[in-house]
Amino acid sequence: MTDIESDAAETLEEFKNSFSYGARSDLTFKFLKSLSPEDAGEFFRQLLGEVGRSLDHGEVGPIHQLVFDWQVRGYEKSGRSHEYDTAPFVAPAKPVSASKVGVLTSSGHFPAWDDPNPFGIENMTQVEAEARISEFMRDTPALSAIPIDIDSGDLRVRHGGYDVRSVSRDPEVAFPLQTLIALEAEGVIGELSSPMYSFTGATSQGRLRRQALPGWIDRLKGDGIDVLLLVPV
Amino acid sequence: MSVGHVARGFEEAGIPTVSVFVRAFRHVAEVMKLPRTVITQHPMGRPLGGPGDPQRQRTVIEAALGLFDSATAGGTVVEIGDTWRPGAVNP
Repeated sequence: MTDIESDAAETLEEFKNSFSYGARSDLTFKFLKSLSPEDAGEFFRQLLGEVGRSLDHGEVGPIHQLVFDWQVRGYEKSGRSHEYDTAPFVAPAKPVSASKVGVLTSSGHFPAWDDPNPFGIENMTQVEAEARISEFMRDTPALSAIPIDIDSGDLRVRHGGYDVRSVSRDPEVAFPLQTLIALEAEGVIGELSSPMYSFTGATSQGRLRRQALPGWIDRLKGDGIDVLLLVPV
Repeated sequence: MSVGHVARGFEEAGIPTVSVFVRAFRHVAEVMKLPRTVITQHPMGRPLGGPGDPQRQRTVIEAALGLFDSATAGGTVVEIGDTWRPGAVNP
């Protein structure tokens, strides 16, 4: 139930859930759906308390910390079904200062000239991506290749699973292109591999592992990378 | 979860990996037993730092890259203690 215009009185359960792909969708606060109504109520009580205090002292840090703390609480039960017993580990063959570094993010970046066009839809908007989140979660992810000399104006982002406002203002928030170019120039890394890669992390986990990942591994091995930096969102 | 599967797959294929997770998903990196993980105290969707905060973004990336040289076993998790700060208004 997400219809704000409904005549029926909205319950607290419906209200908190409406921030997760509902009538009040805001992906920074979609964690509210994972909280009990009692905890969600407590979040809003604490939030309003900090907002009230900020009117006098002007500091927003406590508000940000409160949101952070409740996000941690909201997601604490997520992703626990994919549990493994052992951690794979291979030691790098050389220091990172001599290594060719590959990059792969799940931030949903792509070049303007190579839109993956999910479900065959051209120029899909962020709003449409959020509306189709269930379809993304059943689909096979597409890998976008982004050359490191891309013009900043040609770098696009679209992802129905998280709040893209920050990365829309500055891709370096999740796609560290300029950061790594600088580290390469300073010799902190041996070489930044081109292209960098990105995909929409909200996807079918089975299709990712069985259908997409083997080809991705072959492709990045073909790039000659020594190590891989991964940035999930 | 997606990047967790990617990290495990590449590492098992012989390519060393490091992943940068926000604190809300630390448990995901831990239960999935990822090879190397850096944790930031940032809100979801802002793993490396605020928009227009190249200093924080660099700190996080350097910490992640450093694990390639320092980690000696899978499951290595390093948490950066720096709390969230907004970036410049007009990056």
